[in-house]
Amino acid sequence: MLTNMSLPIFPATKLLTPDQIIARRRTLVRLGLAWLVMMQVMMFALPSYVRHEVSVEDGIEVFQWALKLMNWASLVLTIPVMIYCALPIWRGAFGATKTHRMSMDTPVAISMLAAFIPSAWATWTGDGEVYFDSISMFVAFLLTARYLQIGAQQSLSIAQRGKSDVEQFDHFFKALTDRADKLAVVFIFIQLSLAAIATLAWWYVDADRALPIMVSLLVMSCPCALSLAAPCAFAVAQSTLVTRSPESGLDLASLRAVTARVTTQNLYGSLAWHLFTVPFAAVGWVTPWMAALAMLLSSLAVVINSLRISRLSTARGERVTGVTKPVFSLNR
Amino acid sequence: MEILYLLLPMSLAFVAAIGAVLWWAVFSGQYDDTESAAVSILHDDDSAQAVDRDK
Repeated sequence: MLTNMSLPIFPATKLLTPDQIIARRRTLVRLGLAWLVMMQVMMFALPSYVRHEVSVEDGIEVFQWALKLMNWASLVLTIPVMIYCALPIWRGAFGATKTHRMSMDTPVAISMLAAFIPSAWATWTGDGEVYFDSISMFVAFLLTARYLQIGAQQSLSIAQRGKSDVEQFDHFFKALTDRADKLAVVFIFIQLSLAAIATLAWWYVDADRALPIMVSLLVMSCPCALSLAAPCAFAVAQSTLVTRSPESGLDLASLRAVTARVTTQNLYGSLAWHLFTVPFAAVGWVTPWMAALAMLLSSLAVVINSLRISRLSTARGERVTGVTKPVFSLNR
Repeated sequence: MEILYLLLPMSLAFVAAIGAVLWWAVFSGQYDDTESAAVSILHDDDSAQAVDRDK
């Protein structure tokens, strides 16, 4: 089918309510603006990347002056990203919404403020490091992960509207989501403690490096991949239920088994990835922008892994029906 | 190098303009459905009756 070309976690617009369409558009425009600013700010930050290689004496003054101008331009661009694009993060962190993501936005909000305020101060005084490129990159990546999440959640809400065969799937989904949420809370707590310990340790060793290390650790504590793990797997499973006829040998039991396996892979895979990157951040090898990139990669890996569900469940379903009659099947 | 005083505000203005266009495009629904326009030609009514009517 031609429409199968699209990413199955995003439902067709005609199935969505007007509110859901608006929610998706808002997320898309926020992430688009953040990506735009990110690219521009990275361009402005380019001179600071090569700063240490400039050695001609009178060249340096011109260079420093250009650097200051670039920092001001970056600040001007980063302000709308902080205010408009990151609005869902502030709302989540300061409890304006009573959703479960509340606790997940807290470390993100802290890391953004911890990077932005000293950067704005450094731009004003003309002395010190700026992290505007890391901030805009982090917001762009985070909102990309959120956009995938909103697609997956809206797919689920559509499936929950009718469909009787999906009903027993719902209990199963709830059980797995609860496990993911519990894991995320423990994860955030551990990451926040680690960030606090590492920052304090660096404060005594080398105070200049304490701030970027804290920002890196907090950025990596964002459990985007964890919060994406269950909804994404289920959105793909849902679309596999929906798009395939019951006669095609796909039974609910095998789909459920595959979904459970992929969700578990998503959860523990992203957890393992975060645990693997934390020591590098704690010793100061991971700059804030690298941390943002690591966060995006784990979220994308979760999406790609979830897309395997539709292929795996068909292969498995055919194998099962070929030998014995399935215990739970849609055509029973 | 004083040219930077012109070039930097210009690049900021460009970013603002691109942002405004993106804003318009998203909220006017340009990205709501990126698939069906491409395949709509394949779902065309090609029956003789419809072709005659469109002549």
